[in-house]
Amino acid sequence: MANINLKTREIECKIVYYGPGRCGKTTNLEYIFKTFRKQAIGEMVSANTEGDRTLFFDFLPMGIGKIRGYDVRLQLYTVPGQVKYSATRKMVLREVDGVVFVADSLKIRREKNLLSLKDLHQNLKEYGLDIRRLPLVMQHNKRDLAKQGLPLMSVKQMDRDLNRQLKVPSFPGSAINGEGVGQTLKACIKLTLQSMRKQMGW
Amino acid sequence: MDDLKKKQIKSFLQQAEVYQSQGLLKEAKEKYIRAGQLLKKNKLLIKNKNLLNIISKKLRALNQKIELVENEPASVELPQQVQKIIKEKFSFSKDADAAGLEGAIALAKFGQFEAALREFDQLIEKDTIRIEAAKNIIRCHMALDSINDALARYKEWASGVFFTSDQLSKLRTFFQGILDSKGIDTILPEMEPTAPVTDTTLPQIKELTVPSRPELPDEPEIEEEDIIDISSVGITVDEGPKKGEIVEYDVSFQAGNVINFLISSDDEAFVETLRIGLIMDDVQFYSPIAMFSGKAVVSSKSKIESGPKQGYYSLDIKITSI
Repeated sequence: MANINLKTREIECKIVYYGPGRCGKTTNLEYIFKTFRKQAIGEMVSANTEGDRTLFFDFLPMGIGKIRGYDVRLQLYTVPGQVKYSATRKMVLREVDGVVFVADSLKIRREKNLLSLKDLHQNLKEYGLDIRRLPLVMQHNKRDLAKQGLPLMSVKQMDRDLNRQLKVPSFPGSAINGEGVGQTLKACIKLTLQSMRKQMGW
Repeated sequence: MDDLKKKQIKSFLQQAEVYQSQGLLKEAKEKYIRAGQLLKKNKLLIKNKNLLNIISKKLRALNQKIELVENEPASVELPQQVQKIIKEKFSFSKDADAAGLEGAIALAKFGQFEAALREFDQLIEKDTIRIEAAKNIIRCHMALDSINDALARYKEWASGVFFTSDQLSKLRTFFQGILDSKGIDTILPEMEPTAPVTDTTLPQIKELTVPSRPELPDEPEIEEEDIIDISSVGITVDEGPKKGEIVEYDVSFQAGNVINFLISSDDEAFVETLRIGLIMDDVQFYSPIAMFSGKAVVSSKSKIESGPKQGYYSLDIKITSI
C-alpha cells in the first residue's frame, strides 16, 4: 500500500518494471528520465554489471503533482531480469503499488515472457498479493525489430499468451524510440492512483 | 532452391547480429550455428570461401562473452549512492530503530557486508535492538569469512560494560552455536550472569517440539517473534539425488521466519530439487538451545556471482510451522 506521510503531506507510490532479461525495462526508465526530466525529483540510479545487465535494480524518483493537497511521489524501479537474480527481484517487489510487465516481442523470447510472468505471480503471492487485483499494465516491447526482419509475435498472440486471463491494459512499445513508454507509464499510474483512492476511501 | 538456401544463411546471420546487439547472446549463438551448419552442407553456393571461418570466429567471441556474463564478477561494493537507496528504500518499519535494522539487513542481503557492518555498529548503540545488531555483526563477519574479526568483536564486548551479563550470555550461546556448526574448535569464555538468564523472547523448548499438524495449507502463518535464532538446518526431501537423506546447512542470515543459507555449486543437482515454492515437510532446525522439527517452504533461490562465496547458491526458506 502507498506510503502516506500525514506530516509532510506526501504520498509515495512504488511502481516496479518487471519482465525477462533484456526485454527493455531499463530502457523504459532511461527514456522516462530523459523525457520527463521536469518530473524527476532525483537522478536515475542504476547498478549494472559490465555487460550492461541490471545487477540489482534501477531507481527513478518522480513527482507527479498533488491529490487532495498531498504531493504524490512515484518511485520507479526495475528488477534484474536474469533468472539467477530471483532473490533480488523479490526484494524489489516488496510493498509494490503497481507493476508494468515488459514483455519481449521477439518470437524466440516467448517462453521467457511466460516464465517471468509466472515468477511475478509467485513473488507477489509470497507477499500476500494477488496479481489479478494489483494495478498491472503490460507493454509488448521491441515492436521496432520487425523492420529489421526479425520474427516477432503479433500483439494479438502476446495478449493471448500473457493477458488472456489477466485482461489488463496492454500497449505495443518500442522503448528504444520511446514509443508506448509514456502511454504505458500513464496507464499504470492511473490504475495505481485509482487503487490507492479506493484503499483510502477517497 | 539454391537462392532459398543463400537467403536462409543470410537471414540467420542477420538475426544473429541483431540478437547479439540486443544482448541475447545465446540466441545469437544458436543462429550462427544454424548458419554454419547450412553453409557446411552447401559450400559450393557461397562465393565467400572465408565465411565459415568468420562464423567460427564470431562463435568463439560469443562463447567468451557468454562465459563472461555467466561468471560476471559483480562489483561487490556498490557506490554509496546505491547503498543509501538500499538502506532507505528497503526498510519499511515505522519505528526508526526497527527501520534502521531492516535497512542494514537489506544491505547485507544485497551483499554489501562492509556497509552493513558500519550500520550495525551504529545500531548496537540502541538499547532495543542491541542484541539483534550484535548478532548481525557476527553474521556479517561470518559471511565475509572473517571469523577472527567476529571473535575479536565478541571478546571486545565481553570485556566491556556495554552489554549486560544476560545479553552476553545470549550472544555467547548464539555465537558458540555458529562456531560449533561450522566445526570451528573455539570455546568462547563462559559468562558469569548477574542474574539467572531468562530470555522472554524465546519460546519454551516444550512448545518447539510440539509435532506439526499434517495439512500445511490450513496452518496459520507463524508470527516472526515466535522464531528463535537458528544456527543450522537439516533438510530432507522426497526427490532428487539426496532423496531421504538429511542434509545440513549453516544459516547465513535470519530475518524473522525467513532463513538464508548457502549451498555449494558441487551440489547443483540437489539445488535443482529445491525449487521455489517447494514445501518441505521434514526440516530440522538447530538453535543454540534446542533442536526441533518443522516445515518450511523454499521462498527464493539465486546464484552468488561474486565475492568469497562466488558460485554458491543462496536459498531463502520460510518457516511455516515449528
